[in-house]
Parts: sequence; C-alpha cells; structure tokens
Amino acid sequence: MIPEVGHILLITSLVLSLFGGLGPFILKKDLPTKKIALVMFLLVLGAFIALIYSFLIDDFSVAYVAQNSNINLPTYYKFAATWGAHEGSLLLWILSMNIWLVGFIIFDKNKNKYFSDIVFGVSSLVIFSFLLFTIFTSNPFDRILPITPLNGADLNPSLQDIAFTVHPPFLYFGYSGLLLPFAISISAMLSGQSNQEWASSSRPWTLMACSFLTVGIGLGSWWAYYELGWGGWWFWDPVENAAFVPWLLSVALIHSLLVTEKRNLFINWSLLLSIFAFAASLLGTFLVRSGILTSVHAFALDPERGLFLLGIFSFFVLGGLGVYAFKNTIKSQNSFYSLNSKEFGVLLNNVLLVILAASILFGTIYPLIYEAYTNGKQISVGAPYFEFIIFPFAILLGLVQGVALYLSWGTTKSFNFITKLTLESFSVFFLTLLLLFILFENLIATSFFIIFIFSWLIAGSILVNLRFNSLSTYVEFINRRIGVLLSHLGVAILVLGVGVVSSYSYERELILGPGEGIKFQEKEVELLGISNSMGSNYISKKANIRVSTNKGGFDLISEKRTYIPSGQVTTEAGIEAGIFRDFYVSIGDNLEGDSWSFKLQTKAFIRWIWLGALLITLGSFISSIKLLRKQA
Amino acid sequence: MTKILNILPLVAFGVLIVVLYSFLTQENDQLESVLVDQSVPEFELPSLEDPNKLIQKSDINQLPALINVWATWCIACRVEHPFLMKLKNQSTVTVYGLNYKDSREKALKLLENEGNPFEFSIFDQSGKLAIDLGVYGAPETFFIDEKGIIRERHVGALTEKVWKEKFGKYLKDKADA
Repeated sequence: MIPEVGHILLITSLVLSLFGGLGPFILKKDLPTKKIALVMFLLVLGAFIALIYSFLIDDFSVAYVAQNSNINLPTYYKFAATWGAHEGSLLLWILSMNIWLVGFIIFDKNKNKYFSDIVFGVSSLVIFSFLLFTIFTSNPFDRILPITPLNGADLNPSLQDIAFTVHPPFLYFGYSGLLLPFAISISAMLSGQSNQEWASSSRPWTLMACSFLTVGIGLGSWWAYYELGWGGWWFWDPVENAAFVPWLLSVALIHSLLVTEKRNLFINWSLLLSIFAFAASLLGTFLVRSGILTSVHAFALDPERGLFLLGIFSFFVLGGLGVYAFKNTIKSQNSFYSLNSKEFGVLLNNVLLVILAASILFGTIYPLIYEAYTNGKQISVGAPYFEFIIFPFAILLGLVQGVALYLSWGTTKSFNFITKLTLESFSVFFLTLLLLFILFENLIATSFFIIFIFSWLIAGSILVNLRFNSLSTYVEFINRRIGVLLSHLGVAILVLGVGVVSSYSYERELILGPGEGIKFQEKEVELLGISNSMGSNYISKKANIRVSTNKGGFDLISEKRTYIPSGQVTTEAGIEAGIFRDFYVSIGDNLEGDSWSFKLQTKAFIRWIWLGALLITLGSFISSIKLLRKQA
Repeated sequence: MTKILNILPLVAFGVLIVVLYSFLTQENDQLESVLVDQSVPEFELPSLEDPNKLIQKSDINQLPALINVWATWCIACRVEHPFLMKLKNQSTVTVYGLNYKDSREKALKLLENEGNPFEFSIFDQSGKLAIDLGVYGAPETFFIDEKGIIRERHVGALTEKVWKEKFGKYLKDKADA
C-alpha cells in the first residue's frame, strides 16, 4: 500500500512539474510559483518518506528494498540504504532539487517576476525530466510479486558506514544545487536582466552549492581513506572526477560572478560557466549511471538508462547553449582593466580552472575513446596522468591566489605589498620547514615547492591584513571578510596537507603471527592476537595490535569483516589519528595458521587535507548566508 | 565573428554528445563469434588452481555451462562477479572460468577475497584458447549447451538483465524438454 502511495505521489509531482515547467513559457503571466514549488516539494518528500518507510519495515516485496536491504541490517543502515543505490539516490537528488527551488523562491529578492518565473520554469523542467527518468526506468517502488524474497540481498557492505551514509546526501545536494545558477543564467538571457541583478541572484546559490559539493567530496575522501584499506585519500576514479569537475567549474563561476556583479564584466564567462557547471554535474550522473564507465562506485549497468540520461543532458545543455547562441538578450560590453587588476586575476583563475576541468574530463573519458578506436583494447588513465596535469595548474592557481586578494579593481596603484608578501612567504616557509624538521627529523626536498606555495597562500590570505594599525580595524576587517578568508585559508591548508602527505608518508607490508613484532618508524609494532567476533550481519576477524614508543603507546584494531548475506569482505583499518601524523594499520590476507599479512603506514598531515576542505565549506557557506541576508 | 564564437560552445557540446551516444549504442552484439553453433575448440592448458594439472576440452563436462573470460585487471569483471556468485549458488549452470592474460597469484588472491564462482579456472596466460574462441576482451561469456555446442556469446559484464535476455531462453528450453 505505502509503496503505491509513494508511486502515486511521484506521478502527481511529475504532472505538476510539467505544468510548472511549461507555464511560465506558455502562459507568460503571474503564476503562483511559490505554492506550486511547495506542493511539488511536499509530494516528492512524501514519496521519499514512503521509500524510507518501506526500508524500515523490511518490505521486501519492493524490488529496490529487497536488493539493498536485509532483515538483519542495523536500523540506521536500513534508513540510509534508501539512498544506497541507483533508484533511491535518484529520488534523493530530485528531492534536493526541489529544496533548492523552494529556497530560491522564498529567499530571492529579485523584483522582476518574469525573471524568477523563468528560473522556476527551467528548474521545474529539469525536475520533470528527472521524475520521468525515475518513473520510467528506475522506479524505486517496483514490486516483486507474487513471490516475495524473505531476507533481502543486503546493502553493499562498503556503504555500511557512517561517513558513507552522509556523504551522498551532501554530494547530491551540491550537485543538484548547480541547477539554480543554470536556471538563473537561462532566465537572465531570456528576460534581459541587468548583469548586476542576475549575478547577485546567482552568487549565494552558487556558493552554497559549492559548499555542499566540497563537504560531500571531503567526506567521500575521508571514507575511502579508512574504509578501502589502502590509506589513500584520492584515487582519480571516474566517479571522483565526476564530482571534481563540477566543483572546479563552480569555483570558477563563483569568482566570475563576483566580477560580473561588481564590475559588469566577464558576462559571457559567467553565463557559460553556469551552463558548464550544471552540464558537468549532469554529465557526471550520466557517466556514473549509464554503465559506460565502471568504477568502485558503479551503479547498475543499463544502457537504456544511459540513453535516457544522455537525452536529458543533451536537451538542457544544448538548449542552454542554444539560448546563449541565439536568444541571448544580454549585451556584453567592453570595459578596460589592466593586467595588474583584480579582474585579470579572476580571468586567470577562470582560464586555469576551466582548462584543468576540461583536462580531467578528457582523462576520464579518454579510455572510452581509446577503446572505441582500437577495437576494444583497454587502457586505464590512472593517477600519473592526472597528477601530471594538476601539478602545474595547482602551482599557477596558487601563485595567482596569493596575490589576487591584494589587487584592486580596475588597476592596482601601489605594489608595496610585493616586498611584504615575499618577506612573509619566506618567513612562513622557513617556519614550516622548521616545524617539519622538529616533527619528522628530516627534510624532504621534493616537498619544498608545495610548501612554498602553502606559505605564499598563507601570506596572501591571512597575513595580508596585519598591516592594519589597530586591533579593532583588524577584527572589523576579519569579520567583514570571514567567508573569503576562511575558504582561501582552506585552500592553503589543503595544499600543505597534500604536499606533506605525499612526501612524508611511509609504508611497509609484512607478515605477522600472534606475539610477533617488528620495528617500524621508530615504533615497536606487535600483533597481540587475532580474535573472532560477530556483528549483527557480519563475522569479523580482529587483529589487536600494540604500538609502543619510548613515550608510551596505543592499541589498534584492524578488522576483516565478512558480510553474511552477500559474502563480501571489507577491511576496517586501525588508525591512530594525529594532527601531524596518522598511524595506519590494515589487515591483509590470512596466510597460514594465524599468520596474516599487514600493511603499516604513517601518513603525515593527512588530516589537514580534510581540515582544508572543511574550511572551504564553512567559508563558502558563510559567504552565501551573508549574501542572502543582505538581499533580504 | 562574434556570432560564430557564440555558437562554438553549442557545437563543441554537440560533438561531445554524438561521441557519447556512439559509445552507448556501440552494441557488442555485432561481434558474432565465428564459433557460435560450433563445438568448443580442443585445448590443453594448466589449471589456475594447480599449475601441474592440465585441463582439456573433455574436462568441461558438466553441461549446460558458461565459460567466463575474466582477469584481475578487468574492472567490469568485478562488477559481474556477484552475479556469477549468484549463478553458482543457485546452481542453474556450471560456470567455468578462463583466466585471461593474468598473474596466477593475483587471480587466486581475488578468488579468495571475493569468492570463487567457478567450477575451475583455465589459466590462459598467453591467450591461446582465447584466440581460438575469438575472445575480444574481458569480460566475455560463452554459453555451452548440453551437447557441448557454443550457443551464445556476450561481450561485457554479465548482468541479471543480459542473463534473462540472452541466456534465459536456453535454460527454458531445457525445462520444457
């Protein structure tokens, strides 16, 4: 019964979203958009709750529940399994788009009703197409009748983890948030809004979407670190790239919109980036869910779904670019700015980020192209390509960011800051090296370059303000620019984390039996024993490991879990987390008797990567809220 | 000039879409094996599990059966792995593995970690049998009927849907007979 209710709610919202989508274009008069948006949101929310309910009561007659849950799955994971696979996550995605739309209708204060009606119309059309896709190819409420499975196949064990259950909602919320800048840019082109107005409408939502994308990606990286057992934090997996590309484009868009709003410039950049960022988010969905790329994240492989998604992608992206090419009523204008202006800094930022995004996208789909033109030979474009590509861009972007906050609009008159910046950078650089030397008792030359970029960024984002003559003006300044400062500081912290973890990490694979020990990185590591235990839906082998140093020690547990319903095996790493260094143990394979292989790793500064991501998230969130308040 | 520049993004994305479309519709079915409706070719290759044991055509004797071409370097094979495990557990057909251009050590490790859906795996490091079968890449699956005749071939990951559409009919025939 309840699944049918959910199904009917979805169909009702499908009809309503079609009406909402076409209304503004056909009727061209005042529509009660607020009411429609709210009802649409409530309908989809109702359907989502119906699906959650089906999971909680173990309704295995619903195919999606049967495939992704199990009678013995802990209740919390039954709840989270709702978005654990293709159908449910799609529904969550649609729900997120509805939340964004309601948010826009309530908070946007643009006075032109036609403008906001078109934003509403475009968004409703996107929601309509996703609902259509869900209902016809991926209905989460499909029943398996008449024979109902008794137990259910279980949720993918790697997803049975707290970080992983919250990572997708944040990510989807970020992805789907790029809907608003897209709809706003289309509406701006059709309604001929002034650039200042549409850019100021778009900025808070772009910042907010970027904030959620950042935290979603960050949580995914953290999860991969402790769950996959390899100790890595980024794998250049196609699906990670599918999230990274829209992130890069949304960052470019944030900066471009700023210039459009303040200086009436970069209008084409802002319009196109709005379309590109949304296109990248749709393309990511397509790549992940059509089955043409396979990865650890792969969803159900189904060419028909792929075709449908490609249809959605083509319609909106070609439609958007078509409006840009033929129906664009916005006049771009030339005004002058010099090479030492903030505008030029943002231009460099845009160019670099767009080329980087395109290169990553290319690397992601290149294996497909290669396969198609070499009759099926497969290659994989792995980390080496991406690292090779990203390195020069990261350096250049870092150099630009370091000075950009000092530059003025139009033209920068005084360059006194260069000396100061250089001086500060070198001070930070040597202090950081000193810290690393104290911590690790050696200095690794390959890390110097990145540490210098970190120092340059720190000098550029924080120390810049120390020139204020009194504490109160300094506090006032920080308060006024807190969002900008936090997110740029986040970039610096992240860069330091990446630089240090890639040069100051050590690993060793070895075999240990109970009672055996070894010396690793000046620590005595001993396997105390292996014990068996039972979880609610898995059996586990736990390796108890004692790590002792001359200053004390700690115990770690690394687990090998075998999930009963699926027989799948996962590894839980044992991690002693530290601000400066993680100690990481993961259990490998059982060799003979009670001997197991282990991988020991130390990961320096790895926490700084996620700390950086968190600061970027907070910074862009605060900026977004401030802008929304200012508009209100 | 500006007009052309305005249309440029549209054209670029149009091309991207055409390329993606061609990937998507590039059906592997066009690769009809010359061996369909013929008997499994003769071969003699070592077993994956035991290097000293040689496997021959006559060892593929629990029919009907699937011969599944797999390798540890093949990501799509991991995708179809749970489905093969399911086939094994339901004992609908016997699944024989053809471990293709792989390292023995890695292959055995994978089977140990992820479960072994295969009755046994033929270790075809040089791709000898694979060439005789006209294998295109991994994963690939051949259906062998009760008489030892190859009836169907599927290139790409074996999923529930492919199973129903391409292989289901052979088993239904069996049930009818």
